Amino acid sequence: MRQLCKGNVALVKGALLAGCRGYYGYPITPASEIAEAAALYFPQVGGTFLQAESETAAINMVYGAAATGLRVMSASSGPGLSLMQEGISYLAGAELPCVIVDVMRGGPGLGNIAPEQSDYFAMVKGGGHGNYRNLVLAPASVQEMADLTILAFELADKYRNPAVVLADGFVGQMMEPLDLEYREVPQPEKPWAVKGTPETRGNLISSIFLEPDGLEDHERKMEAKYLRAQEAEPRYEMSYTEDAEVLLVGYGIVARIVHSAVEALRRQGVKAGLFRPITLWPYPSKALVKAAAHVEKVLVVELSNGQMVEDVRLALNGKVPVEFYGRGGGNVPSVKEIQEQVLGRVAAAV
Amino acid sequence: MATDTSVVAPKAISMADYKGRVDPDWCPGCGDFGVLAAVQKALVELQIPKHEVATISGIGCSSNFPGFIETYGMHTLHGRALPVATGMKLANHAMTVLVTGGDGDGFGIGCGHFVHAMRRNVDLTYIVMDNQIYGLTTGQTSPTSRIGMKTKSMPYGNIESPLSPVALALAAGATFVARGFSGDQKHLTELLKRGIEHKGFSFIDVFSPCVTYNHDNTFQWFRPRVKKLEDNPDYDASDWNVAMEKSVIWGEEIPIGKFFERTDLPTLHGAEPVLSAGPLVHQNNRIPADVAKTFIEELM
Repeated sequence: MRQLCKGNVALVKGALLAGCRGYYGYPITPASEIAEAAALYFPQVGGTFLQAESETAAINMVYGAAATGLRVMSASSGPGLSLMQEGISYLAGAELPCVIVDVMRGGPGLGNIAPEQSDYFAMVKGGGHGNYRNLVLAPASVQEMADLTILAFELADKYRNPAVVLADGFVGQMMEPLDLEYREVPQPEKPWAVKGTPETRGNLISSIFLEPDGLEDHERKMEAKYLRAQEAEPRYEMSYTEDAEVLLVGYGIVARIVHSAVEALRRQGVKAGLFRPITLWPYPSKALVKAAAHVEKVLVVELSNGQMVEDVRLALNGKVPVEFYGRGGGNVPSVKEIQEQVLGRVAAAV
Repeated sequence: MATDTSVVAPKAISMADYKGRVDPDWCPGCGDFGVLAAVQKALVELQIPKHEVATISGIGCSSNFPGFIETYGMHTLHGRALPVATGMKLANHAMTVLVTGGDGDGFGIGCGHFVHAMRRNVDLTYIVMDNQIYGLTTGQTSPTSRIGMKTKSMPYGNIESPLSPVALALAAGATFVARGFSGDQKHLTELLKRGIEHKGFSFIDVFSPCVTYNHDNTFQWFRPRVKKLEDNPDYDASDWNVAMEKSVIWGEEIPIGKFFERTDLPTLHGAEPVLSAGPLVHQNNRIPADVAKTFIEELM
């Protein structure tokens, strides 16, 4: 069914289609509509919504509910995610699947409520303590707020690991057509879950391994699944890359602006292309290396001071010059601004 | 003619001294305006110089308070104003420290800190602008929202019991517990003065109606219900049991006023031996040579 929908609300609809039946959250701008939509819709499909007393409480409620095998989630924005980091580390350590949403706002500190992409390090590189990874998906449209949330639940179960939907305030707040069909989203058996039945009585959910060998084994087992995810899960989108001489890299809302800039540059005779990572972890490094194989220059555009650009540089490993252009505080580069950035840099190279 | 300046009386502190540099951005008619005015009035009537006052807040509509009053101020993390204020008081207990916030900030995300600050009897005045709603995030249920109240986060009506901040404060060992109403300036100003003068943790829960998102607990709703404890000359605010009984009365009659006060317990800074020499911030922080020598020898 096609409908006009806000990104934050589309995300909740996707979660419900994915079979999520537990939501625990705390209000924060610009993510509050997720909690509000969850409060509205979850009871209608037999799910529960609870407004926690804090994000710390919310993530620990996720921890408790995820242990039963139920598909559960929470959502917040930067400051709330900072509070959740301890809980996310415990969820990863205990190998519990769950979906956590960050509708990024401006930071650090209180910052403001306008969109940024400055939680990349916090969500993609960890943020919490210890050896773990989040599976991170970055939607660029209202449609993807729903679709990638469904995928997030599937990946979380597949790898028994927290999956993060890393959206920016724009994608969360804007309204676009959303096409949703009811479909059965399969859920795997979860023999590890604690369901209060005689069969699951022996199951233990824990992240504590006091013996050094025991913890090392556990961490190696986790690392092995992360390696499997790195092989199987990278997702990305490319346009105009076949003959590109300048490759632009951006994710989320930025990718859409860059797409328009690339088309405008093409009309001006500049062979520009776009590479858009959809999974931020695992990062689509191999595909990026291929896409950048014949370009002269890479320009990474972000709503930050330069965070994802580090993964681009790691992937390309010095093979191609990687430059960066970022805006912050809620400012967004215009199509023209990106065009000018590219033109200036191409000219400088000649 | 020579003038002896030492006998010139200092200029009296007036409302102008406490007027903030920024005008409040609260919605017209918000209860918080009345609380701000009462706090300023209390400080003026107590003639406390503004450089001796700090106002600390967390996050929420009411937590913008420090910006609207001319004192030292800190706008801190959501729910964390009390720990920040505790740290500040321990660093400089000569300051009059006011903590301001709302019900979501104080009784939701910050409730753990609330209980412990009272248990510790930190010498702070904690003023909660209780509007029974999350206002800044535009209208979600708060820990003091009534059962059945419809909000954006409880569209089918709140199914959770509200907590009683006054009963909780009494249970946690607060040494001064009061409740005021933004619609009664004179009474609120008196409560604030007594709270500020109290040595120890003073908690003042203030009904401060949100005119935008809470259409249940309005000024009109509160006005006929609030009854002053002070109107009963036999009310004994030193009797904890009576205070506890009064604290849970809610309905057609809602008591306001000073529920409880005790003055026999030491404050946190008073119980800390190292602070008896004066505020930490003013103490000499050098370690005497003989003490330093002992430290080093012990570590060898």
